[in-house]
Amino acid sequence: MSKEVNRLHPVSAVISSAKALKSMIFPLVVIIITNGFHFSFNFHSDNFWRTAFLFGIWGVGAILALVSGIVKWRTFVYWFEDGELRVKYGLFVKKKRYIPFERIQSLNYNEGIFHRIFGLVKVQVETAGSKDRKPEVELTAIRKAAADAIELEMRRTKNKTNEQMSDEQSQTEEVLAPTIYHMSIRDLLILAITSGGIGVVLSGLAAIISQLSDIIPYEKIFDELADFAKIGVFIVVLTVIFSLIVAWFVSFIITLINYYEYTVRTEDEKLIITKGLLEKKRVTLPLNRIQAIRIVENPLRQLFGFATVVVESAGGNGGEGNDKKIALFPLIKKQDCLGTLEQIFPDVNWRPEFIHSPNRARPFFYRIDFIWLVPIIGACSYYFYPYGLLSLLLIPLSILIGIWQHKTAAYRIDGKQLTMQYRVFSRITFFMEKKRIQSIGTTQTYFQKRKNVMSVKATVMSGMTGMTGNVRNLEQQDAETIVSWYEH
Amino acid sequence: MRSEPIHKISRKGLTVWRLYGVLQTIILLIIAALVCYGTYYFEWPSFIYFIAVVVVILSAILSAYIFPKVRWERWRYEVRESEIEVQHGLFVVKRTLIPMVRVQHVDTTQGPILKKYGLGNISISTAATVHTIPALVMEEADGLRARISELARVAEDDV
Repeated sequence: MSKEVNRLHPVSAVISSAKALKSMIFPLVVIIITNGFHFSFNFHSDNFWRTAFLFGIWGVGAILALVSGIVKWRTFVYWFEDGELRVKYGLFVKKKRYIPFERIQSLNYNEGIFHRIFGLVKVQVETAGSKDRKPEVELTAIRKAAADAIELEMRRTKNKTNEQMSDEQSQTEEVLAPTIYHMSIRDLLILAITSGGIGVVLSGLAAIISQLSDIIPYEKIFDELADFAKIGVFIVVLTVIFSLIVAWFVSFIITLINYYEYTVRTEDEKLIITKGLLEKKRVTLPLNRIQAIRIVENPLRQLFGFATVVVESAGGNGGEGNDKKIALFPLIKKQDCLGTLEQIFPDVNWRPEFIHSPNRARPFFYRIDFIWLVPIIGACSYYFYPYGLLSLLLIPLSILIGIWQHKTAAYRIDGKQLTMQYRVFSRITFFMEKKRIQSIGTTQTYFQKRKNVMSVKATVMSGMTGMTGNVRNLEQQDAETIVSWYEH
Repeated sequence: MRSEPIHKISRKGLTVWRLYGVLQTIILLIIAALVCYGTYYFEWPSFIYFIAVVVVILSAILSAYIFPKVRWERWRYEVRESEIEVQHGLFVVKRTLIPMVRVQHVDTTQGPILKKYGLGNISISTAATVHTIPALVMEEADGLRARISELARVAEDDV
């Protein structure tokens, strides 16, 4: 067991400083905007002191950020001892953290652009306890060889019982780990084209616009817009479409970069996901942490037979930011995905024969919508008289969606497995194991009771909050079957 | 048809809920009074008086009388050897089944009003969800907490 102390690569100082500085940009923008650009560095100006004060504070913050990056690098050490990964850091308050290798759930690698220039990786060490949305230990930047050394050390400790496993073997084993899934360029393009990232980009745009509201003379624009509208709705529509296309294009590029070379491999009871063009990521996901699996088919993708497979995992954020839901297969042909899933999880029945919601339950899927539809339609029709009547189209639309949802709603019990299928817009097929379900609930309104119809909810653990599957309006008998299945 | 869980919550719980309803109505009354004053002062349209009065009266009837009654009638719970079942809801009847194996910890909490009546809430947490049984007699709540934690300890953990 080596006891030599390892340090982070010097570049990590730069990286943590840069990260800290990045978080300082937003306050700077706020300072500038809230002061409406009344800045002056002229000593005689009224604004000089205020400018100096604000920028002074900001400057101190920025310098602290820089220094903290360097301090972190100087003080951070890690080493292996007694089958543990030991980390020590901190300038005034020394922090030590010892993690036994057996407890490590996953090592996630992350290579940003900075890292790639210098051949470094960021390593995130996760245990089952990493619940507060943070990895247990984060090594900001170390050489790839050093990262391999950690992995090797971990492997060695874990395999202590069978000593015959030499380093050489474990090395080759990693290389040979079978690839289960590799996203082809064609699939990547389709994923990027149909990605729902548009919403994110649009809301981002909206946020920026609202931030800038002090600078942009909105009233003027609105006056002009009024003239604009007189010229023609056509141009407005054109502008909207244009900005939508731009937003879509941005999300297209982002998806393309994030999911480039997306590969899933299995290695002793673990799934290893690698992806990324500019920033390479490697996420490890132990199979026994997987709580449930969802196949999500949004209408557009369903049309072409594509699906997304999402894995609900307990703990371990997989380096996906705050999201504990990991898209195992971001985009895959439905038929292929069932075969592949069968390969990874042979115990699960991936082609259940569903028991559907009864016909008399159909009205319940759209009736509830009228509660909010009627006031909206009323208001629209009243205030925007001729065109507002178009909102009446919402009624057939919501009925159609309701019928569609009704057709999708179904469940199936196979031994120890519960499968739910339901739709909001996207069709979700939720595969759960009985021992992973945290609680099951039923809901029934007065009207549902009259028709002997009941909705069922099942919650599994997923990150902090859990993920709930909800099949609405099943036959009451069926709902009760699910509950008593769960009970015994 | 599955039978309902057997235990109801304490009759005193109903009183406490009524009290909450009354407090809520009083707050609404104050807001309504302010609005009425504003209406008088700024000469807003007079139908605002009407709305304010109706809202307060409705709140008094619903949140102080009808809702607590229905809710209290509906609230049931049962702690069995291997599972906990709760049923609640005003318009929508919700029933939830929590296996003992899944219970991670149990809390009892007591606010000032509940304390005055010797009542307490009991929260049952699983890895993913929290379920609260409200307004139990404190001794009962403590007993239940002890019992649940004892039963839950027997079972091994999967998560």
